[in-house]
Amino acid sequence: MNIVVAMKQIPDLQQIRIRNRKPILDDVALTFGNIDKNALEAGVQLKEATGSNLIVVSVGTEALEDTIKEALAAGADEAYLVLDDEIGDMESSSSARLIAEAIKKIDDVGIILFGEGSGDNYSGQVGSRVAAILGLPQAGYAKSININGNIATVTRSLEDCEEVLEAELPIVVSVIADINEPRIPSVTQILKAGRKPKEMLELDVTGDSMLETISNLAPEMQRKQIEIETIEKLLKVLENEGLLRR
Amino acid sequence: MEFTLSKEQLLIQKMAQEFCAKHLEPVAEQIDRDNKIPAEIIKGLSELDLFGLPFKEEYGGADAGYDCYVLAMEQLGKVSSGPAITISVNCLGLGAIDKFGTPAQKSKYMPKACRGEHLASFAFTEPGTGSDPKQITTRAVKEGDHYILNGTKRFISNADYPGPMVAFAMDDESSKPTAFIVDKFCEGYSISEPWHKIGYRGGNLLDVYLKDVKVPAENVLGKMGGGFPVLTYGIAFGKVGISSVALGGILAAYEAAVKYAKEKTHRGEPIAKFQAVQLRIADLAMKYEACRWLTYRLGCLANNAKDPMLFAKEAAVTKTYVCETFVDAARIAIDVHGSYGLMNDYLVTRLYRDAILGPQVEGVADMQKMIIAGVVLNG
Repeated sequence: MNIVVAMKQIPDLQQIRIRNRKPILDDVALTFGNIDKNALEAGVQLKEATGSNLIVVSVGTEALEDTIKEALAAGADEAYLVLDDEIGDMESSSSARLIAEAIKKIDDVGIILFGEGSGDNYSGQVGSRVAAILGLPQAGYAKSININGNIATVTRSLEDCEEVLEAELPIVVSVIADINEPRIPSVTQILKAGRKPKEMLELDVTGDSMLETISNLAPEMQRKQIEIETIEKLLKVLENEGLLRR
Repeated sequence: MEFTLSKEQLLIQKMAQEFCAKHLEPVAEQIDRDNKIPAEIIKGLSELDLFGLPFKEEYGGADAGYDCYVLAMEQLGKVSSGPAITISVNCLGLGAIDKFGTPAQKSKYMPKACRGEHLASFAFTEPGTGSDPKQITTRAVKEGDHYILNGTKRFISNADYPGPMVAFAMDDESSKPTAFIVDKFCEGYSISEPWHKIGYRGGNLLDVYLKDVKVPAENVLGKMGGGFPVLTYGIAFGKVGISSVALGGILAAYEAAVKYAKEKTHRGEPIAKFQAVQLRIADLAMKYEACRWLTYRLGCLANNAKDPMLFAKEAAVTKTYVCETFVDAARIAIDVHGSYGLMNDYLVTRLYRDAILGPQVEGVADMQKMIIAGVVLNG
């Protein structure tokens, strides 16, 4: 069985500097998002438990050929990559199409893992879109995954409860950060990463829609700066705001 | 000429950073206070292949080269000097065995020490000498197919861990120093309590007593009377480690000063707004960058060192400059902190205690300057 983990190359958030209220991305190293690393670690644990093969799939600019070593050092056995320097801030539906196309080229896929959201845009859409394109069941917000034979048991962490699902493989699962603590790769694993097989896929990226970032500032919060001297005034203000006696 | 790191180098640097943030930083104060490295830290460093990072895979190393070794050691040295110096000395001892040892010696002694199950030591200094090989008093007398060693070695790192110790003794055949590989804790081997030293806490220095220690003749490292090149070459490679540890200390001092300058306020303004503080921050930035590239360069030179004297000079230049600069940097960081910089609640006091060790150990600064001048003036 092949376990697939889809990962997104993003700028290293630790290295981004802010100048004139805008992030400076020049010369910032590329890496994978933290939750993507949780998905990879979940894949490595399943691989160790089931004796499977772990393939990481990623879509990105040419720099991905170097960035992917990070995933290969952390336990992936091989990589399927779609490289194109036109792939910048690709819209989620386009990313999902390319990832699904790449996964179709892999035989005997048992489980496809995603982080719940990418480290940059966190749209949280790609896993669901890939499941829809491939016609597979999907479980989101996974905090644990077990595979027994052809059945996956997924515990989902929801707002006020946990839900345990069982599904036949193949399945798409999106994980949350609580699922595990990614292990730190050793020096030897890092050095061997570059020698692991990489499949470069020629997929047509023309016509795919790109995102244009207009602003990525947090919404401005303005205080009303109302002075409250008495309880009566507090009640009056809350009433005027529509928060009391509605 | 390139001044960028490869993806592998960046990943090794990041790996060390992650280990430090998750595992080492939470116990750094404890290591300094108790003068002891927790066993789980040794195990964690071992799992990452950090004990044998520059050595060949066939002898248990990771074969990542001294360039990657420098990057990892800088990160460890930034957070806790004790574990970093323990690895540095392990690589000093193993480096001598790797360079001068026979295949049998390497196969016997390197793999376990590369995995951190054993730790290597390097024993030259004695109560009567720290730099002059002619003054050593430890004696090796041949008896059949063995040598019998007697003497005292001073300030020996990792002496309290099992593993190989490269020990220097005057032999009765050549009347010159010879290097022997001694199995620590063999019969006749004993150690003192650790010295209560001011910094690099956790990386213990002990005295070693050799009383009628029986060393097989096959444990001669290099050749009889050939201890001097083992000493100079081994010590030169050891300087890659100690320079990297000091570099990490400079980075820690620099970052601590910047953080404090931005957080501490005076008359409602961060003290970073004051020119006097800005000038100190600029000094720290300049010192760190100068030392960083000097140390990274030494790592690259160590990968391809051909002329031992030239490499010894480059190692002496780097070690002396970086260790002396660490003293300056720690002092400047204390100045930025004002009176708070004198309180043990602040990291900079530990950095200052670490810093002032550097120029004294693994070749005192004055002796290094003599090595540098000797090569510069005499070729």
